[in-house]
Order: sequence, then structure tokens, then C-alpha cells
Amino acid sequence: MKNVRIWFTKEYECKYISHLDLNRCMLRAVRRGGLPIWYTEGFNPHPFVTFPLPISLGIDAKRECMDIRIVDDTYDITQIPSAMNKYLPRGIQVFDATYPQLDPKYICFAKYSAQLSADGVEDKTLKEKILDLTKLDSVIIQKKSKAGMKDIDVLPYIKAMDFKFDNTCSFEVILPAGNTKNVALPLVIKAIENNLSLELNYSITKLDMFTEEMKQFL
Amino acid sequence: MIHLYSKEVEKILLKVQKPGRYTGGELNSIIKDKDKVDVRFAFCFPDTYEIGMSHLGMKILYSQFNSYDHIWCERVFAPWTDMEGLMREKNIPLYALESGDPLTEFDFIGFTLQYELSYTNVLNMLSLAGIPLLSKDRKELNNIVVAGGTCTSNPEPLADFIDIFFIGEGEEVDLEVIELYRKCRNENKSKDEFLKLAAQIKGVYVPSLYKVDYNEDGTIKSFAPTNGAPETVEKRIIMDMDNVYYPYTFVVPLVEIVHDRAVSEIFRGCIRGCRFCQAGFLNRPVREKSKKTILEQCKKLCESTGYDEVSLSSLSSSDYADIVGLLTCLTEWSDDCGVSLSLPSLRVDGFTDDIMSKIKTVRKSGLTFAPEAGTQRLRDAINKNVREDELLKTCHVAFSGGWTNVKLYFMIGLPTETLEDVEGIAKLGQAVVNEYYRCEYRTKGKGVNVTVSASSFVPKPHTPFQWEAQDTIETILNKQKHLKESITTKKITFNYHAANTSFLEGVFARGDRKLCKVLLKAAEKGFHFDGWNDCFDFDAWMQVFEECGIDPAFYASRKRSFDEILPWDFISYGVSKEFLKAECERAYQSVTTPNCREKCSNCGAACYKGGVCVEKRQNMVH
Repeated sequence: MKNVRIWFTKEYECKYISHLDLNRCMLRAVRRGGLPIWYTEGFNPHPFVTFPLPISLGIDAKRECMDIRIVDDTYDITQIPSAMNKYLPRGIQVFDATYPQLDPKYICFAKYSAQLSADGVEDKTLKEKILDLTKLDSVIIQKKSKAGMKDIDVLPYIKAMDFKFDNTCSFEVILPAGNTKNVALPLVIKAIENNLSLELNYSITKLDMFTEEMKQFL
Repeated sequence: MIHLYSKEVEKILLKVQKPGRYTGGELNSIIKDKDKVDVRFAFCFPDTYEIGMSHLGMKILYSQFNSYDHIWCERVFAPWTDMEGLMREKNIPLYALESGDPLTEFDFIGFTLQYELSYTNVLNMLSLAGIPLLSKDRKELNNIVVAGGTCTSNPEPLADFIDIFFIGEGEEVDLEVIELYRKCRNENKSKDEFLKLAAQIKGVYVPSLYKVDYNEDGTIKSFAPTNGAPETVEKRIIMDMDNVYYPYTFVVPLVEIVHDRAVSEIFRGCIRGCRFCQAGFLNRPVREKSKKTILEQCKKLCESTGYDEVSLSSLSSSDYADIVGLLTCLTEWSDDCGVSLSLPSLRVDGFTDDIMSKIKTVRKSGLTFAPEAGTQRLRDAINKNVREDELLKTCHVAFSGGWTNVKLYFMIGLPTETLEDVEGIAKLGQAVVNEYYRCEYRTKGKGVNVTVSASSFVPKPHTPFQWEAQDTIETILNKQKHLKESITTKKITFNYHAANTSFLEGVFARGDRKLCKVLLKAAEKGFHFDGWNDCFDFDAWMQVFEECGIDPAFYASRKRSFDEILPWDFISYGVSKEFLKAECERAYQSVTTPNCREKCSNCGAACYKGGVCVEKRQNMVH
């Protein structure tokens, strides 16, 4: 029995499907692709699958992963991408399968690129307005958590936005991610929206995941 | 790689529920170069993505049309209310999922009509696309609005809106009309000329070519063709089920839909002749696919889609002549590759040990049977031909096999029904509960749950009950109440349908052209999704009828005489009106009619010279 980490993209129209639908899609491909997957041995046996850091709906992802367990140790995992892609839509494509090197609990950061726009506002102006927010003492937004509503200051994350030197409102940003602390970029954008009283359109791409020491999650 | 939907759509997708319904891009969806195709066909399903994507007819025609290089068929569904609201607000026209292009760019806009309460969705979808609703307001030879499906058995309530109705099965007639369109366009013919020529094709009904006159009491005085259109429109039917087109692949949805599995159609039609059942009369005679074809199709579908569940589709699966043989050869394959089989539409008398052992799945969900009526007398009147002891025996088999959930479907409001028949439903439910506790091999330590569902009967065209008065809403409510009070055990869960939804369904099922103005007004008021409780507003509908000066009870609650000209009389499904009358008379006397395999009852469908009508009848022992 071996654990295998399957790496895939989630882009285009597939960014609009929920985690549950993604799970169904991947399982279908795993089963039909003939992967010797291990089934749980409980009352309702089901394939054992975990997603180390599930992605939210609406975000493109370049490097997602899913962990499965296979029962046949002689199975050549390099055939996994082609075996599964046959049953996957163009927006979800497996590009690699590896033996996991790190436990999912070591995921601490995720890197995103994003582009913002607002109807009727020039991108350049929008960028300046957002940069102006960094002069404030705090940018508070309420977040729903298990314990009820909670105030969060997203100012550090706005400060962390690394804007491109051009006339677009595009940036890259690294945010806390994982089990212990997780900040969703749409939440930060929502806070900006509230502060600027603007309705923002965004496209976000999750680029990669890192450990606490900023090493790539493998 | 291109995004299929527009930038404008992208801006609203994150603001709606389940945006995956509006994006396209699924596995096996077909993308063509629009500059290289000759005919663009928008296949519209007037309900949500989840419902429409579960519909087999759409899958068949989508794949079939697209198997021609010069045709590009795309899918369109009714956006849910949140999406519609945003689309209207941002002026985004209704678009097809494959190209993202608005419907105005299509040669054909084709609707499938499965349910009367989706008519407002048909009009609402046209309106969302910015296409004029009335056929006469669309003057050019493009955006031809066509419709097929079960409800075209009485197309009249939509006569003002649809250019062409397809009557019967679509695999051949649709393509003939598409070819005629190409020819007419090449010859620069007008839309009117095209429609006149189309009316000459068998299975085509062009409502604008018929003139209807009414008597003072609102009934039809005459129904006459003009411009050489045929007096009787005959249904189209496929006789060779082994060679008719069947898709080897389905579009696999990204989001969960109602029936998310491969489907193999094992036969069309039904041998039974239950008198309330429209499908049973529209699809005569029974035509089966061979075991070899079915196995082949199941294999190919699972291979191309990745589905690991196949459902065998038909009106009554256990009536497949060699059902055990079929299941044997299918399970040999499915067990081998981890595919599970499901067999819906099982008759009470068709659930044998043999069948049960073949369809054993890991998880035991409920079993569903449809006795339809509570007493033997009424079951005989509707020709259901199921006996109580058969039902109990079947339930016994199921309980011994480990099932603890049984669903029983009934109808209330059937012709000749009395309160005694209604009580009979509760008694039958109780008898099933008792049978469980009598069953020695039942699952130990577990109770039984019997769900009794009662829908309200709606008389449908082309059935022996097409002349009947539908029970009024008050009568149905009383019967529902009576039934509820007759159920005394907690082991029975009782469900029933909203009586006023069925009333409206009845109005449109047997309506005539005068209802077009009602639908038009409803569309102007923005009615949609009437089949959904969240959207259905009965009082608002009654208001529309009143504003139009039309009494809905004229259509639903009035008993017709045998010699009245019915709005759908000009359509022939191969079953003679004489046969339907005779069946109606037999219903009044609670006399049953044998099924097609036992004895031919001369319904008329033998005119198609095939299927069960020419099958060698075995001398069955009863």
C-alpha cells in the first residue's frame, strides 16, 4: 500500500465547480482510469481520497493536489496522468503523480496572482486607490467562523500585494494557507470593495503552495 | 484555450448559485468551428441544467445532429431565477453552452416539451434571447423555432409560438427538416415557403397552416388544413431499434445532475395499455433492442464517459422479452469492470428472485412500485393488471432480500374512483407493512418504512381517458384529506402532489389554441418555472385566465362527449379513436384488456408492421 499525490490544474470553466463536484469528477477518473485505489473498510466502503488544501470555487489553480492510496505497489504511477485525463474535462488535467514528500499539515502559504477591475474606473486609478489603503491603520472585515462573526484586519495582506509595474491592476500575493491559519484572497478583495465602495471584478489564479520556510510543497 | 462564455457572463458567474451550470466545457461536449458549419441548432431544454442534462432524448439528438459535419448542435437550459435576474439586469442574452453565442445566431431553436408546466419557460427562454415570441413576428428564414417531445401530442396551446412541431420520434424527421431548410436557404426561399414544404414531411405539424373555427360553447367546430398541409399528421416512428442512431458517448456534467449515469434504452413502447398512461399509447408498438446492441452500447458509453453506473431505460423494464437473459449477459460484463446496473420502472409482477439477484448493489436504496390504485376494482378499471397478492409477494421477496424501504406510487382522481378506492390505498400500504412483519427473513432489528405517494390524475390526450373530467381541486383536496386520515400507522410516510399544480397541468394538457393568449400574457408577466414550488403562483395564474376571459375549468373539469372534435384529433399515433372509446367503455365496466404479448386487441398500431405486433406470440400459461 502506497500513498500517491496526484497533481492537477483546475482552470477555465472548471474553476466554477464546487469541491464536492471536483471530488466526484476526480473519483470517476480514478476508478475508470483503472488506478488500484484503496477502499476504506468501514460499513460503507469508499475510495480513500483527501485534498491537502481544497480550493475555493471561482479560483483558477495551476498546481492542485489530491492524495490517494493504492493497493498495488508494483503499479507504475507515471501512467496516472494519461490514464485519468481521458476521463477529465479540459479544465481539470492531471500533469503529475508523485509519492508525497511532505504531510499536508506543513502547508503554510499559498501564492496567488490576481487581476482586479471595476466598471467605470481605470485600472491604473484602481491600483492607486488600493495602494492608498495601505496608509490606513487597519482594514477590517467581518468573517464568519465557527465561533460566529469575527473581525479580521486584512491590512498586512494588502501591503503584501506585489503590483506589476504596468497600467493594469494586477499583482501577486502570498497569503497564509492551510489548517492552522487560512486567509482567502476573495475576503481581502471584499474588504477592499467595502473600503472603496466599489464593485470589483476579479480573476484569481492560485499558483503554488509553500511550507513555513517557503519551500515548495511537494 | 478560449473561454466559452463571454466576459460579461464571467462577471456574474460568481454571484449565482452553482455557476458550473452556465459554463459548458464538460467532458465530451462538442465544439466546432462555427465558420465551417452550415446549420446551427440550439437544443433548448425548458428547465434547469440538472433536469435537462438527465434527459435521454436530448443526449440522443445532440450526438446524432453533431455526427454530421455540417450541423453544430448546442445545448441551452433555462437559467435559474438568480442567473436570469442578473442576465436581464446586465442585458446578457440567453446563450448556448458550447459557443457562448446568443440564440439569435442560430438557424434552429428547438425545444423539447416534456411537461405542460414548462411552457412558460419556453416563452421565457425566447424572451431572454430577445427573440419575438409569436411565430408571425419572426419573418426571416432563420431562428426557426421547432418543438418535439411528448407534449407535442397536443401542440395547440403553443400553436402561435412554434413554427414547426415534430410528432413522434425525432431521429429521422428532425434531420429531414434540417436538410429542407438548407435547400430552401440555398434557393433563397422565404420562411413561409419553407414551412409549406416542411408540412409535407411526415411527422411535421405547422400550426400556422391550419384554421380552427369554434362553436358558441367554445368547442371546436372545424379544424382545417390550408396550403396543401395534410389533414392528418402522422407520428414518426423508428422500427429498427438495432440500427437507429444511439450515442456512444454522453456529455459528462461538471456539476451533479439528477440522473448522473450512463443510460441504455432497451425498448420503446409498452405492452401493457394502462388506460391513464399517455406514453403507453403514444409509443405503440413495443420495439426492442437486441441484447447484443444493448451490451455494446453499455460498454461504449461507460468507456467514453467514465460512468460506473448504467441504467436500463424503458417504460417497463421487466417486460423486456428476455429480461433474465439480458441481465445475465450484462452482469457478466458489469461485474467484471465494476459497473453497477440499475433497473428503474419495474413492475410489481416483474420483480423476481432472478432479477433481484442480478441488480444487487452495494447500497440498498428503496424499491419503488406503482400499484396506481388502492382497490382491485379500480386497478381493473385503469387496466393496471396488478393484483394485491402479487404486490405482497413481491414485497416479501424484497424484504427477504434485505430491503426495508418500499415506495408505493398511487394516483388519486382516477375515473370512477370512490372514497372506498381512496381508503384502499391506505389499506394496501398497511398490508405491505404487515407483510414485512410476517416475513421470516426480514432484516433483523430494523423497522420497515413504506412511503405512499399519491399524485393527482391528469387526463391526457390520446388515451382512453381523454374525454374525462379531471377532479376539481376541492375534490382532490378532500380525497387527500380522507387518505391522510385513513393512514393510522407511523410506518407509512404519506406524500401527495399539490392539487392546483395538477389542475394547471390538466388545462394545458387538453387545451386548444385559445390558450395561446393566456401563455403570452403569462410570459409578459415574467412567469417561469411553474413546475417548481418556489415559482408557482396559482392565484396569479387565475388572474391571467380572468384577464384573458378564459375559464380554465372548461379544459380541465369538463367531460367531453365522444363525438366532440378534440384539439388533437388531427394527430395520429397509430391507435384508432374507436379503440380508445372501447377502452374507455371497458374502464367503466372495470373490464381489463390483455397485454400485447398475451393477445392483440387491435388498437391500430399494427399499421407500422413491426415490433410486438409481428412478434411470434408464445402460448403463455396463466
